[in-house]
Amino acid sequence: MVARRRKRAARASEEAIPSPPGYSAVPVKFSEKQQACHHLYVREHRVREGTKSAWPPKRTLFVLNVPPYCTEEGLSRLLSPCGHIQSLELQEKPVLAEGPEEPKSTFFHPKPVPGFRVAYVVFQKAGGVMAALALKGPLLVSTESHPVKTGVHKWISDYADSVLDPEALRVEVDTFMEAYDKKVAEEETKAKEEEGVPDEEGWVKVTRRGRRPVLPRTEAASLRVLEREKRKRARKELLNFYAWQHRETKMEHLAQLRKKFEEDKQRIELMRAQRKFRPY
Amino acid sequence: MEPRISVHVGSGSAHTRLQPKVLELFLDTVMGPAPVGAQLRRAAGEREVMEPALEGTGEEEKKASSRKHTMAGSPVKGLLQPMKLSQAELYKEPTNEELNHLRETEILFHSSLLRLQVEELLKEVRLSEKKKERIDAFLQEVNQRILRVPSTPETELTDQEWLPAGVRVPLHQVPFTVKGCFRFLPPAHITIVGSYLLGTCIRPDINVDVALTMPREILQDKDGLNQRYFRKRALYLAHLAHHLAQDPLFGSVRFSYTNGCHLKPLLLLRPCGKDGHLVTVHLHPCPPPGFFRPCRLLPTKNNVRSAWYRGQGLPGDGSPEPPTPHYNTWVLQDMVLESHMQLLSSVLGSAPGPKDGVALLKVWLRQRELDKGLGGFSGFLVSMLVAFLMSTRKIHTTMSGYQVLRSVLQFLATTDLTVNGISLCHSSDPSLPALADFHQAFSVVFLDSSGHLNLCADVTAATYHQMQHEARLSMALLDSKADDGFQLLLMTPKPMIRAFDHILHLRPLSRLQAACHRLKLWPELQDLGGDYVSAALGPLTTLLEQGLGSRLHLMAHSRPPVPEWEIGQDPPKHKDSGALTLGLLLRTEGLTSVLEMGPEADQPEAADFRQFWGSCSELRRFKDGAIREAVVWEAASMAQKRLIPHQVVTHLLALHADIPDTCIHYVGGLLDALIQGLKETSTGEEALAAAVRCYDDLSRLLWGLEGLPLTVSAVQGAHPVLRYTEVFPPTPVRPAYSFYEHLRDRASLLPRPDKPCPAYVEPMTVVCHLEGSGQWPQDAEAVRRVRAAFQLRLAELLSQQHGLQCRATATHTDVLKDGFVFRVRVAYQKEPQILREMRSPEGMISLRDTPASLRLERDTRQLPLLTSALHGLQQQHPAFSGVARLAKRWVRAQLLGEGLTDESLDLLAAALFLHPEPFTPPSSPQVGFLRFLFLVSTFDWKNNPLIVNLNNELTAEEQVEIRNGFVAARTHLPVMVIVTPQDHRSSVWTQSGPSAQILQRLVVLAAEALPILEKQLMDPWGPGDIRTVFRPPLDIYDVLIRLSPRHIPRHRQAVDSPATSFCRGLLSEPGPSPLMPVLGYDPPQIYLAQLREAFGDLALFFYDQHGGEVIGVLWKPTSFQPQPFKASNTKGRMVVSQVGELMMVPNVEAILEDFAVLGEGLVQAVEARSERWTV
Repeated sequence: MVARRRKRAARASEEAIPSPPGYSAVPVKFSEKQQACHHLYVREHRVREGTKSAWPPKRTLFVLNVPPYCTEEGLSRLLSPCGHIQSLELQEKPVLAEGPEEPKSTFFHPKPVPGFRVAYVVFQKAGGVMAALALKGPLLVSTESHPVKTGVHKWISDYADSVLDPEALRVEVDTFMEAYDKKVAEEETKAKEEEGVPDEEGWVKVTRRGRRPVLPRTEAASLRVLEREKRKRARKELLNFYAWQHRETKMEHLAQLRKKFEEDKQRIELMRAQRKFRPY
Repeated sequence: MEPRISVHVGSGSAHTRLQPKVLELFLDTVMGPAPVGAQLRRAAGEREVMEPALEGTGEEEKKASSRKHTMAGSPVKGLLQPMKLSQAELYKEPTNEELNHLRETEILFHSSLLRLQVEELLKEVRLSEKKKERIDAFLQEVNQRILRVPSTPETELTDQEWLPAGVRVPLHQVPFTVKGCFRFLPPAHITIVGSYLLGTCIRPDINVDVALTMPREILQDKDGLNQRYFRKRALYLAHLAHHLAQDPLFGSVRFSYTNGCHLKPLLLLRPCGKDGHLVTVHLHPCPPPGFFRPCRLLPTKNNVRSAWYRGQGLPGDGSPEPPTPHYNTWVLQDMVLESHMQLLSSVLGSAPGPKDGVALLKVWLRQRELDKGLGGFSGFLVSMLVAFLMSTRKIHTTMSGYQVLRSVLQFLATTDLTVNGISLCHSSDPSLPALADFHQAFSVVFLDSSGHLNLCADVTAATYHQMQHEARLSMALLDSKADDGFQLLLMTPKPMIRAFDHILHLRPLSRLQAACHRLKLWPELQDLGGDYVSAALGPLTTLLEQGLGSRLHLMAHSRPPVPEWEIGQDPPKHKDSGALTLGLLLRTEGLTSVLEMGPEADQPEAADFRQFWGSCSELRRFKDGAIREAVVWEAASMAQKRLIPHQVVTHLLALHADIPDTCIHYVGGLLDALIQGLKETSTGEEALAAAVRCYDDLSRLLWGLEGLPLTVSAVQGAHPVLRYTEVFPPTPVRPAYSFYEHLRDRASLLPRPDKPCPAYVEPMTVVCHLEGSGQWPQDAEAVRRVRAAFQLRLAELLSQQHGLQCRATATHTDVLKDGFVFRVRVAYQKEPQILREMRSPEGMISLRDTPASLRLERDTRQLPLLTSALHGLQQQHPAFSGVARLAKRWVRAQLLGEGLTDESLDLLAAALFLHPEPFTPPSSPQVGFLRFLFLVSTFDWKNNPLIVNLNNELTAEEQVEIRNGFVAARTHLPVMVIVTPQDHRSSVWTQSGPSAQILQRLVVLAAEALPILEKQLMDPWGPGDIRTVFRPPLDIYDVLIRLSPRHIPRHRQAVDSPATSFCRGLLSEPGPSPLMPVLGYDPPQIYLAQLREAFGDLALFFYDQHGGEVIGVLWKPTSFQPQPFKASNTKGRMVVSQVGELMMVPNVEAILEDFAVLGEGLVQAVEARSERWTV
């Protein structure tokens, strides 16, 4: 294994690191101590025509295969020599359409456990992207001047972070609920205004809140109605009244028996195959 | 149909690394047998592969089978498929034959399935015509050879010089001197008797009994006395054996005993060559008909004189000679071989139904190990029983085999032959002995047609009661509609170790000789020809039954096995049969009491009681003022109470039979050590109960809480502790504050990097329901905010009103109460429904399950229901906790804990109690665990759902419906399906796992562990290392990550308790002001979560959460195949150029270093053990 590793290392130094078309590979490792590198695959962020992207074209660097111990700060430190970084975002997987979602509450959406991620790095100038593409590695995530916590130290600090401040939580809940109540109240007043007022074609919208409430438009409700109808019909029907009905029930019974018999035969066949009939 | 993958295994070789292509073939087969080494290799095939695997067996196979018409309709790869019959086929005109068949099934059998099953079974055990022909030819030969054996001149019985050197007399001749002469003459008749002629003999052991009638010239008058007949019989066989052994026709010529009776040897002949296992011919010499007068062999007569038996020196002291009923029976048995045969052939000869019935009964007995050994209920006895029932018109010749089986079981279940004997004899001859005489001499009475012979002479009362018990269980099983009676009744073996709660071995057997003297059993010894094991058996079982009293449901004993030996060897001695094993089936209700209450002190029975219990009996005054004799056993915990029978047995045997405790090996609590904490005597039931009590207190506090906007309507537990199934129960936490970092403003403790990891405290989840209200918002996000507000308020109120330390987050409130930490979750009933709502484009609101709604539903509704149901089960069956925890412990110790949810394992354990058939619910963790292994290793998960009928809520019809629905929906269901009354279709607890591969691995491991463990427990000289089956094999993993014990908080729970231990920051006494301890901080678990997140699609990780020191890593073979570049699939891979193309392969060297980086401080070493990844 050692020999192979040496060979690979030798090869790596001789030729350029292979990278997929359009990307360039930047070796990265955790610290000096490690022997082998992961490779960041970087390229300029591009989207298909017509789709909108939240990241500015030309200035955004798209980074694949960011190792789990690499944090946003760490990555921006690694890339800062290429140019001033305006923003940096780590994502689980490449975001196809719209771009960064609105920031989520830390109380209600706890940070996921990091795996390998992708990053969108927005430089202030387009030159940053070019510089990043030409980066030669290996980059070091954790150095003596900027150590990155992993293992036990990281877990302990994570645990400390997970002990939340209840006051902050309360504040966040209150602001959200205020906004929500306002929204609901607005909707209600709007609905009240529309109540009983015909639109330009003369249709009147009927809601649950009206003077005469109607059935809610849910699937469950419509199913209930159908069921009731069916029962009503069944009550009216006569069973075993005509001779043909008799005949049919008998035949039905026989068919059931036959079906059961076939099923049983299949079961037996299977059990025989599994040698389930050997009591020894 | 042999599962096909075994072919691949042969060529792919289990030891060398399997090639990816072979692996894919493996992955297609969900559950065929495969070598152990390959199991997890398959496990490495990821989840995506599993689904097509199931799908594949459904859809593609159907196509394949329709293509190949030979296979049409037959289930391929052992998966049942829904039946599809064309309309024309279903509704065609029935033929007469078909109608008859259907009617017959309805009348004669339980169901058509049972009928087919019984037919198949009979086909399997019956002898084929071809073999019969070969056996007949062999018998012809035997006949001729025997007649050709030369005669010998007459000699004294004691003069055995004429016997050639190569053969020994197959009988212990004690005392040696006996009068009489012997000479060998070829037999007068050779007759085949027994089941072979009747056609009721069953495989695998085909025996043909041949009676050799000795010529009258050999025997003398009074040969019935003092074993003379038996001596002659033995010599007759010895001579015969010598001559037949020289014949090349026979592969083996050996001696054995007739039904284990050591006075009656017989000769076994087996053909040579490949027919060696075809048949065994048993030669029984017997006297000429009418030679002995039956009146001399009545059970009240003596035929072994004391003067002769105890030595010539003893003068007759005038006391009457003791009767020798067993001896007389053995002589009589030889007299009636032929007449019994005639009776049976006249009764069974032309009736196929009863013959089938006898064959079924033999299988039934065989599965229960009731037919073997001295005093077993042999096939002959069963045939006679059927003959008896036919003579009393309980069985009719037109009955089917199944009905005969049922009638016999019904008869056995309801008739106690130890009290009311039965007789085949119909004559009213006054000279015949009375039944009462027989009852006096024998414990079980069943007289033959002559009225002189008790067929059940050797059967002990305990054996008969065991059989009655089995018959009763079987009847209950046949009457219940839901279960697969056939499988449980006839195909499930019931070995002693799995059928009885506790087992005890008495060894060495020679100790019983002393016991016989102590119990004054000389007449019995004289009767039994010195067989001290049989002589002591009856009195000992009676003694123990009386002593165990209300704790005991049933006691069974092993029957000494029938030995077989070479003709040149001396016959084996009684002590050679190893050990006497007793099985105890305990009564749950009786187990909890430590007191044995005796009669009041002034009653005459008090003396008996004192005599029975010896020094243990004390006078005690009771609350009602009575002063009574009583025995009090020392037992503080449930585990010790369960072992009181051990104390009772040891005490009584030492007191009454002189058997010291070194001769008793009691197997009842050997596995308890695995669910005990270090230095504890309890198996945790008490600690769990304490936690549950604390929870009850908390729920009362929550109920009475004032100031909450909505009042609490229900509090439900949702944690394994609260259903008694947490392997290691929580202990109250008393943190030593100096050990921790403090977070003052939030009153919490934090772990310190420079100290070992603090003790692991897992909060117990409690779900708290609020009263209904229309005020809740109708939006999922808003509901979460309101819920968070409730959590905050709850924390506030609990600390204000009750002074409890609380910490609220958005989803739960942690409450510290009496050292236990509870995690209270507020639930809003309608939240799952809000999460399910979807609005279609037309504005119609429909409800569709989403992952979030299902999760919420599971956590807030189903989990509490399950927890309370299992809590109830524990109250009914106190052994449930032990069984469930042992099972869980084992699964986790095998590093498979992550694959199976807690709840699914609990349900498996619950199934053992709710559906114990064909056993009774276990009363000890040991037997429950063995049955768990048996269930896991034999259950056909592919074709059956495991129905766990909690609280008996499912009706038989519902169960049938579930089974039918299962076959139709099989492809959409998880590999392991567990159905409960709350969950008919989706099997919530196995949705997320196990995968087919993990389940298969579990099945294989269980199948391996079971025989090892059973062998250890049944070994009379000690179990060896009982932890063997709990140690996982590590050689199958590709990488091992060794962890540092310093940061494993549960290190002391390890299967092999570690030599070093670390301070975990706990005090033995309560500390000062309560701060919230460190909750749920388990570095190995956090580390594993990170590993799975980062490398989950490249490898599987296995770990034992109870103190495991190693993480096993298995690369997934599918992810190691080079793949073309994809932006979404670069995780941990690198691009290499292969043959001019750019391909992605895992960057293994960097990943191995990542393992160490991510777990810095915790990881000691990363060992790569294979180079498979270099492909």
